Parts: sequence; structure tokens; C-alpha cells
Amino acid sequence: AAVRCQHYPPLRALQASAALRRASDEHKNEPWTSSSQQHFDSPPAGHQPEQEPQGPRPSYTGQGGQESEDYESEEQLQHRILTAALEFVPEHGWTAEAIAEGAKTLGLSVAAAGMFHSDGSELILHFVSECNTKLSKLLEKEQKLVQLGEAEKKPIDEFLRHAVEARLRMLIPYIEKWPQALSVLLLPRNIPSSLNLLTSMIDDIWYYAGDQSTDFNWYTRRAVLTGIYNTTELVMMQDSSPDFEDTWRFLENRVADAMAMSNTASQVQSTGEAVVQGLMGAAVTVSN
Amino acid sequence: RGLAAGPEMHFGFQTVTEEERREKINQVFESVAKKYDVMNDSMTLGIHRVWKDILMHKMNPSPGTLLLDVAGGTGDIAFRFINYVRSKQEHQLQRKLKHHQNLSWQEIFESYQKDKFNSLGDSQVVVCDINREMLKVGKQKAQHLGYSEGLSWVLGNAEELPFDNDKFDVYTIAFGIRNVTRIDLALQEAYRVLKPGGRFLCLEFSHVSNPLLSRLYDLYSFQVIPVLGEVIAGDWKSYQYLVESIRQFPPQEELKAMIEDAGFFKVDYENLNFGIVAIHSGFKL
Repeated sequence: AAVRCQHYPPLRALQASAALRRASDEHKNEPWTSSSQQHFDSPPAGHQPEQEPQGPRPSYTGQGGQESEDYESEEQLQHRILTAALEFVPEHGWTAEAIAEGAKTLGLSVAAAGMFHSDGSELILHFVSECNTKLSKLLEKEQKLVQLGEAEKKPIDEFLRHAVEARLRMLIPYIEKWPQALSVLLLPRNIPSSLNLLTSMIDDIWYYAGDQSTDFNWYTRRAVLTGIYNTTELVMMQDSSPDFEDTWRFLENRVADAMAMSNTASQVQSTGEAVVQGLMGAAVTVSN
Repeated sequence: RGLAAGPEMHFGFQTVTEEERREKINQVFESVAKKYDVMNDSMTLGIHRVWKDILMHKMNPSPGTLLLDVAGGTGDIAFRFINYVRSKQEHQLQRKLKHHQNLSWQEIFESYQKDKFNSLGDSQVVVCDINREMLKVGKQKAQHLGYSEGLSWVLGNAEELPFDNDKFDVYTIAFGIRNVTRIDLALQEAYRVLKPGGRFLCLEFSHVSNPLLSRLYDLYSFQVIPVLGEVIAGDWKSYQYLVESIRQFPPQEELKAMIEDAGFFKVDYENLNFGIVAIHSGFKL
């Protein structure tokens, strides 16, 4: 038997799922799919053409005739399954059952859920990544409006409140099962990925807030905002007020605290500098 | 190693033609069928039950799964599947009832009635085996243990399955693929009968890489097992064949490559007990 020395699995077209997708063209309407590639995935090995979610499929010339028009990688298929699975989460939780139902809607066998962990880790990470992407797009759009002069630039505390609230609101449809998701994200296996997603989201928010610091402030700002985000998220879990108004009020207070703290910090710093200068002057005087 | 080209093949450590191999294997299983389960327990000290449980756990079938168990002879995998799906259904039912807090007694009664008629939730398993004797033993066991719903028995050859394309959610072959004469054909058939998204699972003896363990394992295999075979089942030769065929079977990576050749994606394997047994898994995508 031939010995294989490849490091990557062969880049073959996925036959069965491609046939299914040809048959069910009308069902394709997932605005997130093609744009979700940046944050979470490492790009699949090699040079796979990005697929177009709607409209006529491009044909790839000069590819030796081997590639079918709907060439899709395993990762892209897995993304589609996970996105389809999200609508079953309110009922089944973040579980393999939800993924199985999602696979069913795509015309695949329920056994396809076996590709993923039975604790739903990939589903949750996928969801978080999609939410972060949505947030980035939203902030980018608003920034454009400000640049074009069509909107006012928000003061920093209002901007942070707005960004965190927008991001947390994405959890509302899944709020009942979200505590379960949080506990899964804290599993040692998942911590690197979930931490990564969290920090890049916080980074994004500060970037669009106009933060251009390159000094120690960069770290403190991120730590502070991460703290605000996490505590607000936990408050949201057990908030039963109408439209979560208690949560937004909590958020407002935390952001105000952070602003006050940074003012205090700079006051302490300038006071400290003044004291040091005074001491130096006294020392010079005494030495003379 | 493994399957040679041309008419020469291996039967344990002997060299035979393809025809002879089929005939010999047929005889082996006809002769061991009645004592198959007893021998499994004594040779593996009962650990084969754990292996099969792990396989079922890995499969994690949802209700409504259609399983094809090839070379399933005496029904071990099929019975485990039925148990698993049944207990999952019960869990789901309990969860549903917990959600609806204010049901009247009438409604609770009705929901139990309704679900009694599909305690398996439309899941089904088809046991396919090439050997009539093994199927016979399996059917007797099923009757004895009270399994009747969602279970069917079919006589068939793994190299040429009597089923339509795209039918099954999961295909399993536990300790059977070693005895198939043309493994590539069996893998192609597995691909054919699976639905898109369907899963291929293979539980089989494999190769131990740890040198110390490997020596102990060889010692046990060649000195103890055939003796057990003679004492318990009165059949030294069949168990000699069994042990030899394990050595002739392709190792983990090679089997993985063969599965990929048949068209499966996301092919992976999990070693159990340091490679004494391995579970290979692939998806038809």
C-alpha cells in the first residue's frame, strides 16, 4: 500500500455536501458565513477560493477541471452547520443535539454532529466569534458616519457604554442557556480560545474608541474594560428587569467609576510629581 | 503488507487464494459462533465490553438515528445502541416535562402514552452479517434479552451490501473488518450506503507501538489465547487464526489512509489500551 507523506488532508471537493447545496440553492441566505473567516479560523491550508453565498456561482477557470463550482472546505461546512445549529439552542441548549438539528436543516445526517465535541464547545466559540464580528462591523459603520460628518463623535464614556451594551444585547435570544455556555468557555481546554476572543473584542472596542496609546495605558485600559464587560455580563445573567434596564444602569455606573478612577490616577500622578520636585528642591537647598 | 495483489492473500500467517480465504473464514465463524461471546470475555478479560461501550459513547447517537452494524453477528453493538437511545429518549422526556410545570394529570398521562409507542424515537438498527450461524446466535440473544423493537437482521456481504445508496446515518463495523477479504470494497460500500453527513466507525484490533507492552501482548496472544480456545471452545485453529490475523491487519495510519481513499473526510483514530484496539472515524461530507 502506498505510504502517504502529506501534512494536510487532500484538498478534495466535498462531494456529498456539494450535491446537497446544488439541490437546495434557495436555502442559502446566511449573511454571516463569508465574513466570519477573519477572527476565529486559521485559514485552511492552501489556496481555496472563497465562496459567494448568493447569486450565480463563479466558475474557476484554469483549475484543471477537477474542482467543481461549489468547492467548499471542511471548515466552511462546519461553519454552516454551526450557524444553522444556533436556532435550536434556545430549545436544546449548547449541546450536540442542537448541532444535530442544525445539520438536519442542511440536509445532512444527524451523525454529522459527531464532528464536534459533545459539550458544544465549538458551537459556543463559533457564536462568540460571530458576535464579535458583528460588533466590529457595527462600530466600523458608525465610525464611517462620524468621519463623513453625518454623526456626532461620542464622548468616551458614552462610546464604551454603547459598545458594551450592543455586544451584550446579542446574547438576549440565548440568555437562558448562556450561563451554561460561560461554564463551558471556562473549561481548561477552551480557555486559550475564549480568552483570545475576549481580548480581541476588547481591543476592537478601544480601537474604535480612538485609543492610540502605545504606553502602559494600553494594558490598563484593556484590563479595566475587560473587568467592566465581564461583571456586566454576570449581572445580566440574573437580571429580570424589563429590557434589562438594571444591567444598563450597572454598566453606566461601572463606566463612570472607571472614568473617575482614571482622573484620580492622573491627579495622583501629578501630585506625586509635584511632591518629588519639592523634595528635590529641598535636597538641593540643604546640600548648599 | 496486508492485502497482496493477485490471487495470493493471507489467512493468518498462511498464504491462500481469495476464494480459499473466504471459505476458511466462513468455516472459522461457523465453528466459533456458539461460543463467540464466551470466548470474547475470556480472551479480553471482559474488557471488550468497555471497548464497545466507548464506541457507543463516541457515536453519541441522537434519537432518530439509523444505524447499520456490519459484521454485527451476535448483536453486541446493536443492543448497546438500543439501550443508549432509549435512555436518551427518557432523559429528553423528563426534561420536557420539567419545562411544563403546570400540567394537569390528564396531560401527563397522555404524554406518557404518546411516547410509549416510540420509546426509541424512530431510531433503528440493522445488523448485517455474512455468516448465518452468527446471525442465528444474535437473534436468539435478542429474544432472550427482550430486544425486538427497531432491530432487524440481514444476511449480507460487507463487500457488496444489499442496501440502497444514502440510507444510513451511521455505519459501524466492530472486530469485523479484519475478516473482510477486500477491505477497500467494504469501505467503498460503507461510503455508498451512508447519507451525506453520515459517519463511519470502525472498532478493530490494531498495532501496539510501545515495545515492552508489545512483547507482553505477543506473549499473551500466542501462548494464552489459542490454549483458551482449545479449552473453552474446543477449537485451537480458529483462535490461532484470530491472533495471526490481528498481526496481518494494517496499522492505524494505513487504515486511516485507506478510509480517506474511499472518500471519507475528517478521518481520525483513537487508540484504546495503547493501541491494542483502535476506533477509526470518518464522515461522508
